[in-house]
Amino acid sequence: MSQKQYWSGLEDLNKINSHTEVEGNEFKEELPFDLSDSLFGATTPRRDFLKFLGFSTLAATLVASCEMPVRRAIPYAIKPEDIVPGVPNYYASTFADGSEYCAVVIKTRDGRPIKVEGNELSSVTRGGTSARVQASVLNLYDKARIRHPYGDNAEVTFASADRAIMEGIGAKPGYLVTASVLSPTTKDVIAQFLAKFPAVKHIVYDAISYSGMLQANEACYGKRTLPTYHFDKAKTVVSLDADFLGTWLSPVEFAKGYSKGRKISAKEIKLSRHYQVEATHTITGGAADHRATCRPSEIGKVAVALYNAVASGTQPSLSSKNLNQLITKAAADLKAGNGMVVSGSNDVNVQMVVNAINDKIGANGITVNWTTTSNYKQGIDKDMAALVAAMEANEVGSLFLHGVNPVYDYYDNKKFTSALAKVPLTVSFAERMDETAQKCKYVVPDHNYLESWGDAEPKANYFSLMQPGIAPLFKTRAMQDSLLLWAGATQSYADFWKDYWMKKTGSQENFDKALQDGVIEPAGEMAIGGATFSGNIGDAVSKIQAQPAAGKDVIELVVYQKIAIGHGGAWSNNPWLLEMPDPITRATWDNYVCVSPSHAKKLDAELTGFSEVDSKKRVVTVKGANGYSVKMPVIVVPGMHNDVVAIAVGYGRDKKVGRAAASDETKGGKNAYPFLSYNGQNIENHSAVTITKTEEKYDVALTQTHSSYEARPVVHEYTLEEFTKDPNVLLKERGKEIAEFSTLPWIEEGKESKEPIVDTATEEGYRVNGTLYPNYPYEGVKWGMSIDLNSCTGCGACVVGCMAENNISVVGKDHVLKMHEMHWIRIDRYFSGMADEPDSIQTIFQPMLCQHCDNAPCENVCPVSATNHSSEGLNQMAYNRCIGTKYCANNCPYKVRHFNWMDWNGADCIDDNIYEDGRRDDINDDLTRMVLNPDVTVRSRGVMEKCTFCVQRLQEAKLAAKKEGHPMHDGAAKTACQQACPSDAITFGNVKDPSSKIYNLRKHEQMERTFYVLEHIHTLPNVNYLARIRNTEELDALNENKNEFLKYHI
Amino acid sequence: MHIKYESFVREPLVDGNKDYHQVSEDIIGPIEGKPGRMWYVGFFFSIILLLYGIFSVGWAVYWGLGTWGVNRTVGWGWDITNFVWWIGIGHAGTLISAILLLFRQGWRTGVNRAAEAMTIFAVMCAGQFPIWHMGRVWDGFWVLPLPNSRGPLWPNFDSPLLWDVFAISTYFTVSLLFWYSGLLPDFALIRDRAKTKLRKMLYGLASFGWTGTAKNWQRMEALALVLAGLSTPLVLSVHTIVSFDFATSVIPGWHTTIFPPYFVAGAVFSGFAMVNTLLVLTRKILHLEEYITIGHLEAMNKIIVLTGSIVGVAYLTELFISWYSQSWGEMAAFQWRIMGPYWWSYWAMMTCNVVSPQLFWFKKLRRNIPFTFVMSIVVNIGMWFERFVIIVTSTYRDWVPGSWSYYSPTWPEVGFYLGTFGLFFTCYFLFAKYFPVIAVAEIKFVLKTSGDNYKRGMEYIEAKSAEEFLDEVHASHDDHDAAH
Repeated sequence: MSQKQYWSGLEDLNKINSHTEVEGNEFKEELPFDLSDSLFGATTPRRDFLKFLGFSTLAATLVASCEMPVRRAIPYAIKPEDIVPGVPNYYASTFADGSEYCAVVIKTRDGRPIKVEGNELSSVTRGGTSARVQASVLNLYDKARIRHPYGDNAEVTFASADRAIMEGIGAKPGYLVTASVLSPTTKDVIAQFLAKFPAVKHIVYDAISYSGMLQANEACYGKRTLPTYHFDKAKTVVSLDADFLGTWLSPVEFAKGYSKGRKISAKEIKLSRHYQVEATHTITGGAADHRATCRPSEIGKVAVALYNAVASGTQPSLSSKNLNQLITKAAADLKAGNGMVVSGSNDVNVQMVVNAINDKIGANGITVNWTTTSNYKQGIDKDMAALVAAMEANEVGSLFLHGVNPVYDYYDNKKFTSALAKVPLTVSFAERMDETAQKCKYVVPDHNYLESWGDAEPKANYFSLMQPGIAPLFKTRAMQDSLLLWAGATQSYADFWKDYWMKKTGSQENFDKALQDGVIEPAGEMAIGGATFSGNIGDAVSKIQAQPAAGKDVIELVVYQKIAIGHGGAWSNNPWLLEMPDPITRATWDNYVCVSPSHAKKLDAELTGFSEVDSKKRVVTVKGANGYSVKMPVIVVPGMHNDVVAIAVGYGRDKKVGRAAASDETKGGKNAYPFLSYNGQNIENHSAVTITKTEEKYDVALTQTHSSYEARPVVHEYTLEEFTKDPNVLLKERGKEIAEFSTLPWIEEGKESKEPIVDTATEEGYRVNGTLYPNYPYEGVKWGMSIDLNSCTGCGACVVGCMAENNISVVGKDHVLKMHEMHWIRIDRYFSGMADEPDSIQTIFQPMLCQHCDNAPCENVCPVSATNHSSEGLNQMAYNRCIGTKYCANNCPYKVRHFNWMDWNGADCIDDNIYEDGRRDDINDDLTRMVLNPDVTVRSRGVMEKCTFCVQRLQEAKLAAKKEGHPMHDGAAKTACQQACPSDAITFGNVKDPSSKIYNLRKHEQMERTFYVLEHIHTLPNVNYLARIRNTEELDALNENKNEFLKYHI
Repeated sequence: MHIKYESFVREPLVDGNKDYHQVSEDIIGPIEGKPGRMWYVGFFFSIILLLYGIFSVGWAVYWGLGTWGVNRTVGWGWDITNFVWWIGIGHAGTLISAILLLFRQGWRTGVNRAAEAMTIFAVMCAGQFPIWHMGRVWDGFWVLPLPNSRGPLWPNFDSPLLWDVFAISTYFTVSLLFWYSGLLPDFALIRDRAKTKLRKMLYGLASFGWTGTAKNWQRMEALALVLAGLSTPLVLSVHTIVSFDFATSVIPGWHTTIFPPYFVAGAVFSGFAMVNTLLVLTRKILHLEEYITIGHLEAMNKIIVLTGSIVGVAYLTELFISWYSQSWGEMAAFQWRIMGPYWWSYWAMMTCNVVSPQLFWFKKLRRNIPFTFVMSIVVNIGMWFERFVIIVTSTYRDWVPGSWSYYSPTWPEVGFYLGTFGLFFTCYFLFAKYFPVIAVAEIKFVLKTSGDNYKRGMEYIEAKSAEEFLDEVHASHDDHDAAH
């Protein structure tokens, strides 16, 4: 290297001091900043002013542009073998909440379960889910879950609790009370435990009792079990107060089967016929073709009348003409074969009569299966009554409670509570401090099902395995582990479970496959067989006939389960479910008294008029025969029997159940379980009450105000007769609206036909010629959805499925009251018929979501193009671009766009302004936020959002196909709502692909039933609906077009 | 037979004995003196309202628009109702100054200054609503077609809301220029009369060095004409474009081709009513009864009855067309508007806007000041309801019955509205104190032709018979000739 030195001048060369100083100073000139202390005191020169202006503008810009606080994201130090960031893992498992069963697949991302889907390999639930199954993943992250064992309401270690419990189980009789046990290994574990402690007995207690049915089946067929119902094989379904699509027994399974009989097309006109007799208005009643109401106490007489009509052709003489007509018709249809009768009554005699009818019409072995029986319910009411009596008599030394909460849900909970205090050792396995756990000496918390190993046998020989999606979050222990430990076993339950199934499956390979599939089932079709009826039907009939008829003025109360909340339990604290509108009442966050319109008038409450839009509802006092009384708001429900009121269970929970569930005078509803009655043998879901009006009002958060669709072409429905006579009836109706515009005004050709029928050419012509704008030629994929109004039962699984998939915010009651709910898919419910005549009410459900209009009114009005159209026909939202003018929402004819009114989730740029109402807040807890789907943006306050057709799933499917190098297969992309639907009402796919299901459905199979909502305004939706075909004689909705408009109006 | 100096229908535009100096004294006097107690009280309350408005808006910006009552079905409520209402009010000023100037309506001189000021303040108030109704107001500048690094990403020129941005900002700019250019000679007058240094300096600055030369006047007149020419189409276009927000939509009750003329007529209607409200108060408080005469108010009332009738016809046309179209959506929209849960707003609109202005067909009532005042307020209540009816009672029950809802405002929405009153009156009170509320120069321009005393000065001529007058004219001509 050369030693040559360069210098810039003599000063540099000679290193003169002053020069070195200057050189060190980067800015040689006088700086234009006034950095002296006198700055703020000095007069500000113009340039400084400009500088300050510049600085403050820059500062303001910086502040305005920091939209998101930076959150830490820590990468794995050592990557787990099977976790690829951004790629979900799926584990087949089993959902079981006591007796409720569903085969599921858990979707995990980065090791945490974020979604639960139905397992299509199961021939029991066949991929269907319910709202609760969809919401179950949120229970895992429930903040109210117990995080460690308790002894005397203080934290203890498992070891100390175990020691105390094992010492405490003395020779005095003890009881293990569980909900129905579907799991064979758990049964074995219980057997081991009972063997170790012979004084302990196992009894099953179901909050929602089916004891009457079990006992009746025992009396009639010698088996204390439940049959499998094959709704898909039934041509005639008669339901006597059984809400089999909503809450009765196994709704997911039934909805799957039932929907098969409800599929109809012009090519194959056949439709099952469904008769429903009920006291209240359920979604099953909404799906029915013929519906009549009766008092709950009269259901036995209805069953007897049906039996007589079937057996001997006797004319029924029931309390109403409608009932008599329905029974006569139903009997005739049942006798024609392939019929089925089910009843929701818990009265042994009624169930015996039902069994007798099924026997008479030859249903056994065809639609009612006694070979492959169901294990859903096992509890016998008498056992529990005996236990409570024993506890009261100080005869019980220990009590173990798993999956049950009798302090809350036993019909005489006061008696149970006081009796519980007399038991020296009480152990609860509860996952939260529910009403019973609080009163137990020890709480040894069980895992959530998503953290557990396990299994289920929902039907004889149909097994389903449960595997965890995540390691236990808290210091919890499987109930089976506890029992094994106390029984002195050395093996853990996981090992026990594995041994059991290894033995059963025979080899590691088979075991792996079973675990991967999630189900172990006999090959082929489900075995079906009948049974010989040997019940004493005469005795049952005479017992029913001997029951005195209810007095004319007696009001009967029905205690029912809401579709969302069910029996209560953890569901009471699930914000997704609390905010899911009830399918019939469309109410959220509360329970209330459902009352018929004519009864409501007596209570000074109305269905229509200003009451529609007034959220303040009349409060009444409901007093039961046992003295229990509650004050609750009235919701008017058309289709309720005029002398019947109904209250849902699952509300009125203790504050330790969770923040969302906690109830007091102002929120959270009331407990309805104490209104149940016990007839000495069975707990019945109804009792006589008195209702008195008060002057108070209470806000009930409803999401729908108007109940009639006003005969608008938003919904199309026809009777089977109309449709059979002219399958083109809908195409003609559509023709009246659009054919005129399908050709250009100056072209005369094709205009002469008086009754134009819409065909593919008309549709295309309307698309092109109905507008001044040029037509966009869609090439490649174009997404479309079809929703079958015949299949949709309104169950709400799609609503919750969408919430889970798309990180839909929960807004809380106060904002639902303001109509600020965020559900991307809602299920509109319309009534038609005469409000005062409950039997005339016809109900229809219409899922409503973004229609992804090709000519979308929302798109052209956005001043910043935040909402726009993709080349695949999707109406997309660029959240980042949205400035929140809400113009798009105003201009959306379907009103499916939802604005982020508040900072629901902490995603906006202002700290500390997150919305809190005291009930929904846990949804934003760090624990609960683990449920968020990382593929979907969490929207910030002030932006619009709406259904995306689950664009993240569409992208994933396209990319997967691209990677594998083939065109995307039909069905590779499924939307969350479609996947959740238990009745396959939703079809989705690429409408440009002639081999796709949606293409064939629209163009061929269901052309005659296809319609688009508000087609005449030329929005060109990508969602179509299939008209509802009712297997009945008359449509009420169409009467609204007649002169008696006001009379028929709801 | 007597001749008339001027048609008897021409009332004097300035009453009393006025000369140029007196006019200056009357109008500039209040600016130079201390304001009265009423001014302080009024100003104080205006400021309070303004602060409350700022608090209400701040609350909504901080917590989110969920603090308002608007919802998924009724996306616009009081916010856009108030926007359209204020914008409508903002029509009178420019109409008076521009269109009436082009039509050479001399009576405008008494009222144009206050009316223009009102326009500007009303547009300022109106502008607040579309700004603060945005969910992310900090990103609101994205509506401006600024060159940017986001792609570049431009606004959507198809959106009527974007047209609004242009229409309103243009209207505001032109109105402001027009108003200010008219103020120049008057500011110069204050400057010239000023006895304190500060006043001389500030008004000197404000008057842009006006010296009153012929060139000054010539240029100002030319500018006035140009701006009048520019603003005339703007008066018609602004509300037309505002009406496009609704007319281009697909919501029954909004999707109506009648909206542009209907909105413009309504805007003039409400604007004139607001001018009346302010003038009745201003003339009383500032003792300007001789400049803002009953004749002025009557002229305004005539326009109110005309535009009120146009609006009435529009309402009836809407009803007729909804039936005539036999379109179920339209028919139902009007059915729910008239008989639904919001029936009261429709009937309030009908009563205030269509029925009550018809009373102005009676001359006695037109010239009755208390009645004029009450009517001016009734009309603006009616016009507020008109906007509410259009905006809220169209969306609340639109196409799909399952989505219908109801809407009631919450305190921040009401507070926002009150706040704009605070803004408006704060500005107006400052204007009344520091600006000449009547265009002095223009009054002087018409004083010698239309002033009461000058008209009276002609009485002796009018008293003469035609022959006598003719003789005199000839005689004076003869004298004139003789002098040569």
